[in-house]
Amino acid sequence: MAVKFFGHFLVEKGLVSRKDILQAIDLQEKTNLKFGEMVVEMGLMTAVDVDRVHLAQRNENLHFGDMAVKLRIITEEQVQQVLIRQRNNHLYIGEALIMVGALTEKQLKTYLNAFKKDQQSYISEKVEIKDEIPHKPIWEMVADLTYKMLTRVAGISFCPGPCSMVEKLPARPVVAEMRFSGAVKASYLLSVSETTRNLIAKAILDEDSVEEEPIEILDDSVKEFVNIVCGNIAAKAAQLGHNIDIIPPEIREGGAAGVNIPPNHFGLMFPIHQSDSEGFELTIFIPKG
Amino acid sequence: MKRVLVVDDSIAVARQLEKIVNSDEEFEVVAQGRNGAEAIKLCQQHKPDILCMDMNMPVMDGLTALRNLMQIIPDLKVIMVTSLGGVGDKYTEAIRLGAKDVISKPFEKDNVLEMLKRL
Repeated sequence: MAVKFFGHFLVEKGLVSRKDILQAIDLQEKTNLKFGEMVVEMGLMTAVDVDRVHLAQRNENLHFGDMAVKLRIITEEQVQQVLIRQRNNHLYIGEALIMVGALTEKQLKTYLNAFKKDQQSYISEKVEIKDEIPHKPIWEMVADLTYKMLTRVAGISFCPGPCSMVEKLPARPVVAEMRFSGAVKASYLLSVSETTRNLIAKAILDEDSVEEEPIEILDDSVKEFVNIVCGNIAAKAAQLGHNIDIIPPEIREGGAAGVNIPPNHFGLMFPIHQSDSEGFELTIFIPKG
Repeated sequence: MKRVLVVDDSIAVARQLEKIVNSDEEFEVVAQGRNGAEAIKLCQQHKPDILCMDMNMPVMDGLTALRNLMQIIPDLKVIMVTSLGGVGDKYTEAIRLGAKDVISKPFEKDNVLEMLKRL
């Protein structure tokens, strides 16, 4: 049970083969042209113009279309024309699988319904975050997915508190951190008490008791939980059109003294209250500007 | 009995996977590794039938190890175990490089065994 894309779901369930999915992806890649390819096909730009845009993008973080407008190669209106053409011509994986003969239309409909049902529990609900925070929808999704995983993977009952901006994290014995790179940069930190750490370890290790387990294994379980949540966040972000890369999580030193928010960063904290212990926090360090 | 090598930087996950694999008499875990470089070394040493390997690991990541392993041992059956299974690009890259399947974390015992039996 995890965030998946439709093709992965079909292979995992044994409904299409690995060969079928590769053929369908190849077909998608030939059909679904990138902005720079589409704009040339439509005769709005030359290959030399495309190279100019790519070169300019190395120095400024702008989408291809926005950069082409800035360089006065095409107009805003032409950007919209390209986007509409891309959208209208887009070949979805299910359609591609029909075209390569791996699925019938009837099967596609049935499997899509099964897929929607499988992914129902990962559809985001509303989390309130202030407008000044960059990539606000991403952090709303991050908090929401963390809450869902706490329930489904760790089996923890809790009540989420309102999100707030903080200068320092409360002191906690274990702080697991995962760094996001790629288009969206940030750090994801889960600060937990020993009680919560042991609850997470019980779920990850699938053991009734973790009292005899060494601290290394217990901390490792929290890291793994963060890894699972963040991997699913990266998948969900990709569905929303954002690229998030993750590197293996680490236990942050000095968590017991409280962690300061790094300079030029927002510290967005989501308190999580438990019924039978002191609670814990999800905090995201987000670069300003 | 099919011999399985488990490679994951998380001791907790490797232990959980080993428990699942060993619960079926058709399979036996022969060794555990913690990164991609160890995966290559242990594959040459133990010659497993199946490798279950994490994608996101320090020292050498799973996809780099998979690329190398497919050149050294092209017949090796590899299943990638990852929290990034839902990221289309990563999934496609793993399958293109020769992985037989991708297990998404969090995984369930029945799904893992079913996938191993399908190989």
